[in-house]
Amino acid sequence: MPPLALSDLLGAPVFDSNGATAGKVREVALVPQENASEISGLVVKTRSGDRLLTISSISSINGGVRADTSSTAWTAYSGGEGMLLLARDLLDQQIIDVHGRKVVRVNDVDIHEELGHDHVVLKLGAVDVGPRGAVRRLLKGVVPARALHALLAKIPPRMIPWEFVDLIEVDPARRVKLKISLDRLAQLHPADIADIVEDLAPAEREAIFETLDEEVAAETLEEIDPKMQVSILSSLDSDRAADIVEEMDPDAAADLLGDMPPEATEEILTEMQPEERAEVTELMNFEEDTAAGRMTTDYMALNPGAKVEDAIEMLRNFEGGVESVSTIYIVGDKEKLLGAVPLAKIVLAPPGTPLMMLSTGHMTTVHPGADEKEVAALFDKYNLLTLPVIDDEGALTGVITADDVINMLRAKL
Amino acid sequence: MPETRRLRVWRIRLLMFLAVIGPGFITANVDNDAGGIYTYSAAGAQFGYLLLWVMIPMTVALVVVQEMSARMGAVTGKGLSDLIREEYGLRVTFFMMVGLVITNFGNVVAEFAGVASSLELFHISRYVSVPVAAVVVWLLVVKGTYKSVEKVFLAASFFYFAYIIAGVLAGPSWKEAFVATFKPPHTGAFRDSSYIYMVIGVVGTTIAPWMQFYLQSSIVEKGITPREYRASRWDVILGCLFTDIVAWFIVVACAATLYVHGIHQIRDGADAAQALRPLAGEYAYILFAAGLFNASLFAASILPISTAYTVCEGLGFESGVGHKFSEAKVFYWLYTLLLIAGGGVILLPNIPLVKISILSQVVNGIVLPFVLIFMLLLINKSELMGKHINGTWFNAIAWATTIIMIGLTIAWFVTGGGGT
Repeated sequence: MPPLALSDLLGAPVFDSNGATAGKVREVALVPQENASEISGLVVKTRSGDRLLTISSISSINGGVRADTSSTAWTAYSGGEGMLLLARDLLDQQIIDVHGRKVVRVNDVDIHEELGHDHVVLKLGAVDVGPRGAVRRLLKGVVPARALHALLAKIPPRMIPWEFVDLIEVDPARRVKLKISLDRLAQLHPADIADIVEDLAPAEREAIFETLDEEVAAETLEEIDPKMQVSILSSLDSDRAADIVEEMDPDAAADLLGDMPPEATEEILTEMQPEERAEVTELMNFEEDTAAGRMTTDYMALNPGAKVEDAIEMLRNFEGGVESVSTIYIVGDKEKLLGAVPLAKIVLAPPGTPLMMLSTGHMTTVHPGADEKEVAALFDKYNLLTLPVIDDEGALTGVITADDVINMLRAKL
Repeated sequence: MPETRRLRVWRIRLLMFLAVIGPGFITANVDNDAGGIYTYSAAGAQFGYLLLWVMIPMTVALVVVQEMSARMGAVTGKGLSDLIREEYGLRVTFFMMVGLVITNFGNVVAEFAGVASSLELFHISRYVSVPVAAVVVWLLVVKGTYKSVEKVFLAASFFYFAYIIAGVLAGPSWKEAFVATFKPPHTGAFRDSSYIYMVIGVVGTTIAPWMQFYLQSSIVEKGITPREYRASRWDVILGCLFTDIVAWFIVVACAATLYVHGIHQIRDGADAAQALRPLAGEYAYILFAAGLFNASLFAASILPISTAYTVCEGLGFESGVGHKFSEAKVFYWLYTLLLIAGGGVILLPNIPLVKISILSQVVNGIVLPFVLIFMLLLINKSELMGKHINGTWFNAIAWATTIIMIGLTIAWFVTGGGGT
């Protein structure tokens, strides 16, 4: 059976058990709490106001909707609490195409009819985002139905299966009621989520950052344009903002908080865990375009007596970003930098090897006050992945990673 | 040493100026495009001071309408075509977009008329200037270099001050001009269809449909939120005032020169340039041509691309110069066709450049009320705008503008305008 278009169902006549015309289909409803893909009922516009016709009372939908109950038995429709209304919430709205990783606008919805025990079962098949759905809706009622069908058959469909669709709902209460979770979006790479977020309106961005898991939200935020980062973070509650900032790379968090209005920064900082707060505030003291301003304090450092197995153990428990573990540092008294060991050497060496033995002979370091140009030049000259930042006493204060340098250079392109 | 210091002071001043100007001011400047210059000039040449009374109510309406666009952009974070689509569905959006493409196409034609007529003053054939301008604009926008050129366009918009100076130097009858600004004309004027035509044109060029879509999108693109909106509102209001002060002076300058010398019909750029004679003497044509050329190229860089964005966003096609051609075919084709066809019209033999420019602005005025109705319906939805819905006065002014424009259109048809 070919799928039924939502636009064809809307406005279709509804006949009650006596075969009399009771009204027209006004809305198609889903109750996601019960079933996320099966239609639960229709809102019918009758002479006595809008009524809710549950799916269990519908015997057929061919040539108009036929109900097996009398229209007086249908409950009055009362606002659709907990219902996803396809014409209002889906048609013409923007949704996230998780598979295509972009924001698209819905032209129509394909509904599949399946055979149930005693009534029809209507399932959401796919969302039409291509010209076919648009042409159908534009020409419906203008061009004879036959000619329209022939024309539509010639247009290649552009459909997104319902399981690849994530909805955007800006009202938090409705989000809970409609079980809108963005689970599928969260599976994407943060950089792709960031691209999607940048295509949305501010209220929708806020909704996404309220819904996403903190860790994913933090990684996504780091990938977004700095000016937009500020406006997103400002739109969130300070405790939610603090939760996200805690999960961010400290140097990115420091840059972001540095761009926020001082009162907002203060509020977020007070909501943060003491340890993360200390890290971020320390970094915020540095000028953004110096080595210190670019470095992260999330790095791995062990004492001079450590062996390979200690390093592996530490790696297992490391919570910072993966980009900063490509080199593991050896520090002595007062954090004095003594050596650096590339991750590859640790992986290849037997467990008992002392780390000091693996340390590279020549070590490139940079001063906290060095400017961006100098940092970039060092990365280029020595083909670095990471660059330790040491102060006047030779103590390790932070690490600059290659991805920071790429960001920096791209901003200048 | 003092030389370089002076240069630095100048540069700082210029930077400060550029920092203040935002979407509102840019929109206002593009508003004084080729269609605008020719329409205001023709209004002054044909009717002297008799159209000046339009300026004050029109300015009020312009401020109100532009403020509504900017506010909707800041509050919803969405473009006008997106909002129409989401609230009124595909069919309504489609017809709106078809109407907008036709109207904006007229404006693109007017921009190329500006390019052709300005360079013809330097004896450059339109068969050369128009194709070259179209290619330059296309590359400028698609290759993403437009943003860096925008400031040059804006700086060159200082040309409009030439009209203010010329207006003063022409020694107009100030008393007559001011009286005409505040005193509505006798009702008999509205029996003349060419007078109504000009009123619609003047309003249509000042409060153009494309501006509402363009300004709202610019506000969204700049990421202006309701909190930062206060500053943007001033940018919008100052832009509107600037547009209309320039418009007033163009009409006065033309009234004091062309009208009094009996040149009531502007046929080409050379005629219109006469208005700048009091300022530049025999070099008036150079000043006029340079200004008109800049204005035309500026608007030609904005209008077609903004039309393509608006239409594609409303109808759900991929849009943006960041995409490859294969990813956003409709967008690129629409943009390219607007430029090619817009320029192509100008190359038709014997096309009257000034007349067609003014016609395009009259179409603006006729289409405007439809855009206003949607804006009014949308901005009064509290589920969209929250506490930022329109106040009573704003609604009154915007509805009055809508009704008056519909009334003028009907009056023009009734007086036999449609037939001429």
